[in-house]
Amino acid sequence: MPKIVYFIIFIATALSAQTKMSIAEANALKAKVKTHAIETKTISSDFTQYKHLDFLSSDIVTTGKLAFKTPNMVKWEYVKPFQYSVVFKNERLYINDEGNKSNIDIGASEQFKKLNDLIVSSVKGDMFDESEFVINYYKKQTNSEVHFIPKNKKLEKYIKAFYITFNPKGDVVEVKMIEPSNDYTKIVFSNKILNSSLPDEVFAH
Amino acid sequence: MRYLLISFCFSILGCASYPDKNNFVKREVPDLVLKNTYFSDKEQDYVYKANIDVFNKHFGGIFIVKKITDNNHRVVFTTEMGNKIFDFSFIDENFKVNYILEDLNKKILINILKKDFKVLTEESPVFFNAYSFDKDTVFETEMYNKKHYYYTINNQIYKIIRSGKGKEKVVFTFKDTSSFMADVIKIEHKNLKFTINLKSI
Repeated sequence: MPKIVYFIIFIATALSAQTKMSIAEANALKAKVKTHAIETKTISSDFTQYKHLDFLSSDIVTTGKLAFKTPNMVKWEYVKPFQYSVVFKNERLYINDEGNKSNIDIGASEQFKKLNDLIVSSVKGDMFDESEFVINYYKKQTNSEVHFIPKNKKLEKYIKAFYITFNPKGDVVEVKMIEPSNDYTKIVFSNKILNSSLPDEVFAH
Repeated sequence: MRYLLISFCFSILGCASYPDKNNFVKREVPDLVLKNTYFSDKEQDYVYKANIDVFNKHFGGIFIVKKITDNNHRVVFTTEMGNKIFDFSFIDENFKVNYILEDLNKKILINILKKDFKVLTEESPVFFNAYSFDKDTVFETEMYNKKHYYYTINNQIYKIIRSGKGKEKVVFTFKDTSSFMADVIKIEHKNLKFTINLKSI
């Protein structure tokens, strides 16, 4: 192979590669994200979800809207290609599946409680709990990518790792949940608006 | 005596086969060939929004079928948010559970799902009879020791019945069909409160 090809491959790899952060850099990111999370009272955002299954020709793409209000109300609303929404509120999960309404008591299930906590903290990005995760920090161009690997045996069965990408402001721009099989769900946020007024009706069932 | 005769007639009728009960007329078809092509295109990702009603509880999710190679289908169900619920493989005559959520890992449930999804993905069942019924041609085969009846119009399958003791046990309906896809599929268990509705997305 000509030398120039090797050179191009080298440059391409170097550009796309993520480098590990120093301890000081990781601490600075953590502090920034934590402050940012405390200051965030509401979030409204569009999202695009990519479900990747290795055997499929293309990812399954769904789009929708996210709403969050402190302390822990979250609404995921899928708009395309189907209408489905799930609201996490008052220890319950309220589902509206194309008009079919139901709800689940999260308090009764440890698994749902954990899922709820994870969703709330990953929306804000504040998941830096070293008793729950092995955490690795990387730089990716101007963004930061943090890998959270669960320590909890039960959670480990469903999720191998969470990758959360932060923009330079410390805001979550992408969440990737990787399954033990390496199939994953990637959620990319866009048009994110912080701290606008969100009435409680947004989270009504 | 009359009651005895009536009950005798009923018991005969009760034991009658599904074709007899439904007044099917046997047809002599030279070669009994019918293909189920609804999940047969290897190029296609078959992705459906699923609604499942079981014992008055409602679940939603995404139902995915992919033909990986000839005689190899992958069948996966996830929540809308992407969490995998189950992942099965049908390879030749074998069935494999690649993954199932711990709470659902029950032999009886897996068996029901296996039988239902086998009907969806089996492309070339061996048929031993054909019948006329109105304008339809109905093909008879056996799967997991149960008789299955494939209702067709112009060689296009629109309904499959699994029968037991001459009665409908499970009804599979296919709507908005083209050669290699059915956009709307319903699987209805008559003896269980269990229905799966699929709509392609």
